[in-house]
Amino acid sequence: MKNVRFDFIIHWLWTIVFALLVLSGLAMVGAKYGWILNYDIASADYIHRLLAAVYVMLTFISVAIEVIRGIKGDDKKLTWFIIGKSGYQLFTFITTLIFIITGVIIWVCMDSNIAAVSFALYIHEKLTYIVIASVIWHIYVKCHALLWPKKTEAKKNSMEAGK
Amino acid sequence: MMQKPWFKLVIWILATSFFFMASSIIISHLSPGPTEHQSMRYMEGMMGAMHNSLMGLSMTIEEDFDLKRLIINASAITIPLICISIILGLYIRLIRGKRNAG
Repeated sequence: MKNVRFDFIIHWLWTIVFALLVLSGLAMVGAKYGWILNYDIASADYIHRLLAAVYVMLTFISVAIEVIRGIKGDDKKLTWFIIGKSGYQLFTFITTLIFIITGVIIWVCMDSNIAAVSFALYIHEKLTYIVIASVIWHIYVKCHALLWPKKTEAKKNSMEAGK
Repeated sequence: MMQKPWFKLVIWILATSFFFMASSIIISHLSPGPTEHQSMRYMEGMMGAMHNSLMGLSMTIEEDFDLKRLIINASAITIPLICISIILGLYIRLIRGKRNAG
C-alpha cells in the first residue's frame, strides 16, 4: 500500500463514483428507464445529488493539481490521472466540465427556469450515452488491466511445498 | 496494487457494470413505449423524490405544528447558546493559561 500513487487512487475513486452516478441517473431518465432501480426515484435522486457533490469535489481537486503542475512546469505524465492535456484525459476533462455545468443548471433552475432545465437535461442525458460508449472503448483499450495475475514460479513452488 | 486478486475483482465488477449500463440503455431505448403501469410507477417515484426535496421537507414542516414550534424555539436559543459557549470557552482557556503560567 505504501507505493500506491495519488493519481491511481483518484482514478478508481472517480470510477466508482461515476458508475454509481450513471446507475442512479439512468433510472431517472424516463418511464422506460425506471426499471433499472425498480422505480425507486426518490433514492436515485438522493444518491445522484449526494455523489454529484463528491464527483465535483474530486474533479476540482484534480484540476487544482493539474494547475499546480502547470505552474511548476512539471511535464511528467501521470498515467492514471483522470484529466490531462491530450487523448482520453482531455476528453474526460471536457465531458466532466459539461456534466458539471449542465448538472448545476438542472439543480439550481429546477423551480424557476424550465427552458434552461430542459436544454441542460437534454445535453446531460445525451452526453451520458456518449461517455458510457467511450468508457467501454477505454476498457477495451486498457483490457490488459483485467488479466488475472499469473502465479510466479517461486509462488508455485512454495505452494507445492506447503502441500 | 494492480496485481492483488481482490483489486482485480473490484476492477472486473466495475468494468462489467459499465457493460450492464450500456446494455440497459439499449434495452430501455429500444423497448416499446412505456406502458400505463410503467408511467404510473415512474410518476409515483417522482412524487416520492419530491417529498424528499427541500420543497417537500418544508411542506412537511408546515403541516407538523410540534416540529414547527420546536424549530422556532431551537433557532431562537441558538445564537445565545453560541455566545455563552464562546464566553465559557474563553473563560476556561484564560483560567488554565493563568494556572499554567503560575
